[in-house]
Amino acid sequence: MVDPVMIRPEIALDDFLPIFVSSALVLVFGGLYVGIYTAVKVKLINKWTMPLGYVFWMLTAYCLYLMGSLMHVGDFTAKALVVAAVGILLLPHAVYYMQDQVHQQNEH
Amino acid sequence: MANKFTGIGSESKQLATWYFTFAAILFGAQLLFGLVAAIQYVMPGFLFEVVDFNVARMIHINALVVWMVFAMFGSVYYLLPDETGIETIGIKIGKLLYWIFVAAIVVVVLVYLLVQVGPATETTIWFINEGREYIEAPRWADWGIVVVALGFVANLWLTGMKGNRSGIVTVLMADMIAFAGLYLAGMFFTDSIVMDQYWWWWVIHLWVEATWEVFVGAIAAYGLITMIGASRKVVEMWLWIEVAMLFGSGILGIGHHYFWIGTPEYWWEIGALFSALEPLPLVAMFIHVMYDWGKQQGKQNASGESVSVINNKPAFLWFWMNAFGNFLGAGIWGFFHTLPQVNLYTHGTQFTSAHGHLAFFGAYATILIGMMYIAVQGKNGIKILKHTKSSIWAVSMIVGGVMGMTIALTIAGYVQVLVSRAQMGATWAGYFDGQQGVWFAQAMDWRLLMGVITFLGFVFLVKDLLSTGKNPVHER
Repeated sequence: MVDPVMIRPEIALDDFLPIFVSSALVLVFGGLYVGIYTAVKVKLINKWTMPLGYVFWMLTAYCLYLMGSLMHVGDFTAKALVVAAVGILLLPHAVYYMQDQVHQQNEH
Repeated sequence: MANKFTGIGSESKQLATWYFTFAAILFGAQLLFGLVAAIQYVMPGFLFEVVDFNVARMIHINALVVWMVFAMFGSVYYLLPDETGIETIGIKIGKLLYWIFVAAIVVVVLVYLLVQVGPATETTIWFINEGREYIEAPRWADWGIVVVALGFVANLWLTGMKGNRSGIVTVLMADMIAFAGLYLAGMFFTDSIVMDQYWWWWVIHLWVEATWEVFVGAIAAYGLITMIGASRKVVEMWLWIEVAMLFGSGILGIGHHYFWIGTPEYWWEIGALFSALEPLPLVAMFIHVMYDWGKQQGKQNASGESVSVINNKPAFLWFWMNAFGNFLGAGIWGFFHTLPQVNLYTHGTQFTSAHGHLAFFGAYATILIGMMYIAVQGKNGIKILKHTKSSIWAVSMIVGGVMGMTIALTIAGYVQVLVSRAQMGATWAGYFDGQQGVWFAQAMDWRLLMGVITFLGFVFLVKDLLSTGKNPVHER
């Protein structure tokens, strides 16, 4: 009998927990980045916290990298994760810009 | 602008309260049968051959879907007069269809409970149970649902065409066509189980991760205008961005359901890419609520008035829970296991159940409960609806209970991933070994306890909603 061919990358038992934790942290840190950015922009919190927001984005990107590495993702998925990281970075800027422009046009 | 159709006396709003009332009853049924199923994990002999696990689970999930559909219809009937400035067209037919819908659901549930199993012929499909998870209603009820949905869509369209067609109404008109049309994909069988599952996911995924999310965006827009006086232009501009982002990532995100059902492997790439993008609109929705709240409150504070801009505190809290819960339940708990490399191990475990509980609650239950509070405020002519002890207990216990269930189910799922999948290779023995471990058993105990807390929170919620009209704490 021929052994079945292993076509998937095996994930080490010890890597499951870091994978789940890092994938949760992707959005936790991402949410903190977006939340701080928006809160600073609408003047709910002090300006000096903005760099902290970008630190959270860096942590988001690192968690995406860690998660992808431990999962042994292929080239395509790795690129998709990079797109997601850049998307999270740009999203609050784009959304805030658009919202603010509409706000300005309607109030001034 | 206020007119005779938008306040007390609007037939559309009266119909909305009927829909919300039956939705709340079904919500209670969902929780009760969820508790039965949860008890059966702890005590397998509980109600054995009376209400077996498969029956309790089926009613638990179907009641969830149907109460949300009822509350969605109610939400639309509630906001239509406000948005269009006219009474809903065809409201008499709307009321008739409501009673048909209620009668059909009652009969279906009674058949699920009292008949349960059919002869496994066409008779079963037509009169007892169609057998597809989440949408098990027999075919006669399917057609009834189609007729009711078409009547509802016709009312929405006719009213939208005649009255003021705001951005919110336009989005709802398009979204509800897709919502009703997609149900048809779950109404036929094919000989191939692969093809059958392929089409079934069109209903489940494209409802939940596309049309329902867009619906939530529209309702959130209406809520922000109603509760905090947010600028309509800003809110509606934002709504269009949300629609683009949700459909852009959500439609092809269906790929993450096609990993292991026998579809071609290119779905791995499609599913991975669009699933990775799916959290982005959820993050964006979170910004939206924060932005509007911050701007409106800032404007209020700058004018020298330090009072809150929120005129319905419980509803706003539930809407805020929605923005956060959607991000947490659909976003974080979805992203956990959305890539194929890890989904290979997690699909079909309690991880899915944990995600399902928090996502349905966070993304939909919260905002629909918020709409119930808005309806109660409008029905009783309340200017400022405040928190009460019951409303605080309700939100604390329901949110705490659902979070507790989610964490317990996640722990159970983790045990299954390690034991049943990674160590024992998804074998028959691995399936049972995974469920016999002490961590799995304890997680199920905690899930039951948290389910009870959720149910008690529901009791507080009902008490608060029913007593709002006579409660002197609210400003009239």
